[in-house]
Amino acid sequence: MTAKFANYVARDTDSHGMPVRYAYPPYPVGWVSKEVLRGYVDGNDPVTGRLLMQEMVEALTHPLTDDEKNPKVAKRPKRPRLLKKDTVENYKRMFIENGWTDGMPIELPTEERVAEMLKGTDHPPDEVIGRMSVTTHEERYEYTVEKVAVNAVMAGARPEHFPVILALAASQEPSMPSSTTSFGRMVIVNGPIRNQIAINCGAGAFSPFNFANSVIGRAYTLMSFNFGNAKINQNFTATFGNVTNYNNMFAGENEEETPWEPLHVEKGFKPEESTVSLFRGWNINHLGMGTAGPMGTSNRMIDVMNGLPSMVPGGTFVLDPLTAKHLKELEGFKTKEEFRQWLLERLKKPQGPFAMRPATINLVIVGGEWNPMFTTTDFTYTQTVSIDKWIPKKGICFDKKPIRMPAPVTCKDGTCGIR
Amino acid sequence: MAENDVLDNVLDPVGQPSGIFGRISDPTSVNTGVVLDPCRQPTQKLSSMEGQLMAPRLDSLDGKVVYLVETGFHGAKDFMEQAAGWFARNMPLVKIESRSTQGSIFTDDPALWAEIEGKGDAAIIGVGG
Repeated sequence: MTAKFANYVARDTDSHGMPVRYAYPPYPVGWVSKEVLRGYVDGNDPVTGRLLMQEMVEALTHPLTDDEKNPKVAKRPKRPRLLKKDTVENYKRMFIENGWTDGMPIELPTEERVAEMLKGTDHPPDEVIGRMSVTTHEERYEYTVEKVAVNAVMAGARPEHFPVILALAASQEPSMPSSTTSFGRMVIVNGPIRNQIAINCGAGAFSPFNFANSVIGRAYTLMSFNFGNAKINQNFTATFGNVTNYNNMFAGENEEETPWEPLHVEKGFKPEESTVSLFRGWNINHLGMGTAGPMGTSNRMIDVMNGLPSMVPGGTFVLDPLTAKHLKELEGFKTKEEFRQWLLERLKKPQGPFAMRPATINLVIVGGEWNPMFTTTDFTYTQTVSIDKWIPKKGICFDKKPIRMPAPVTCKDGTCGIR
Repeated sequence: MAENDVLDNVLDPVGQPSGIFGRISDPTSVNTGVVLDPCRQPTQKLSSMEGQLMAPRLDSLDGKVVYLVETGFHGAKDFMEQAAGWFARNMPLVKIESRSTQGSIFTDDPALWAEIEGKGDAAIIGVGG
């Protein structure tokens, strides 16, 4: 490992109870010349100040210590359900200082508020939903329906949002996996629940103009802190971080205006099912515009995607409905699949550690038809999770007067509750 | 709710330690129908990790076969080439075998570990991060 990761591997070695011997070359090892690397092997380990290669030889030849012969696995204790009694002011400080939030104000998860949130599902509070880690190798934290409700309350969500938040938890996928490369996330909801709880699929869907989009997206991030155990500079190594980590580009697909079949139907679900689909990547180019002439939009999409410095082949386009209609009606792509094949034949295939993954192209329709624009991402589709199993048998649990921000669009059948 | 109100009913937001390590390819996953790539990062249970011991150390590397394994991170292969050069210059009696793990940086490579166990005396694996 490189010196930058010395604390990271010490933490991991302790938790695994497996005292592997490490030597640390300077950081970085990637993107430097062979002359620099030659200097590394002839120089010192910055952590210990000793000759690097000599350390490696000694790691293979010095006898094992007593601690190394008798490794012990660190067992983390079970956490109490309730926090110790304190004042509201101190709790607010505690949640921020312990890294349990994004730093913005939260609702304190009192038993009353959590009980209210639990009305948003029929599932019992002690039902285990899954386990999560922001790393690929650390101990995962297990969480129940009640734990998800706690984080939903903190995010400011209401019981009507809870089935979607439970579906996100059931994915067992952290919103922000740890990587020096700084992963971003996009979350797309399909099906009737979009309109029922007024998820924005239209104008400004990725901007902070919608209650459901904001609080559900934020709850996903809070769960990644508290179930994924994300600790900055310990196991969370994103060098920049990613602006999408705040609410994960949470939006709905504008199914009403798409000329093609909705995303969740492509993924094998029925149109009347509600689902949440996850995408993960790095780069987003929002300003996508076609050019005049035949195939002006599709060729421009190829140009933009090929310009992204991605490590994975393919990616995901987010299309305003006007763009999707243009591609179908004027450029002749009758189905998403037809267009996907056309794109795949023309997209460059990046080389790198991930180049062996199957090439995938996804098309998502979001937007308010202000212009035929497209957003280009290198996001990879990861999974689609059903929301329906988390909805109460009696239906979604609405507040007597559901909270709705000024609406960029209203649904056509009135189920969104916006009058 | 006033700032100085005292509460004794605030719930802990953090998940419980599960004793299960690794994120991908977990056959014990619940509540998701997703089929994950079985070649990727293996999972381990706390109970199975106890008792994993380090291999005995060698008295000397002279005449021994040392595998230099690069795991696919940026620069790892170039670094291991420099490490191999260092052994050639400074410990020429060490027999170096250079290998790359197959697949992505997060893919397990049991065939390589078996080869090292059968034919090697020691291994240096890197460079991560």
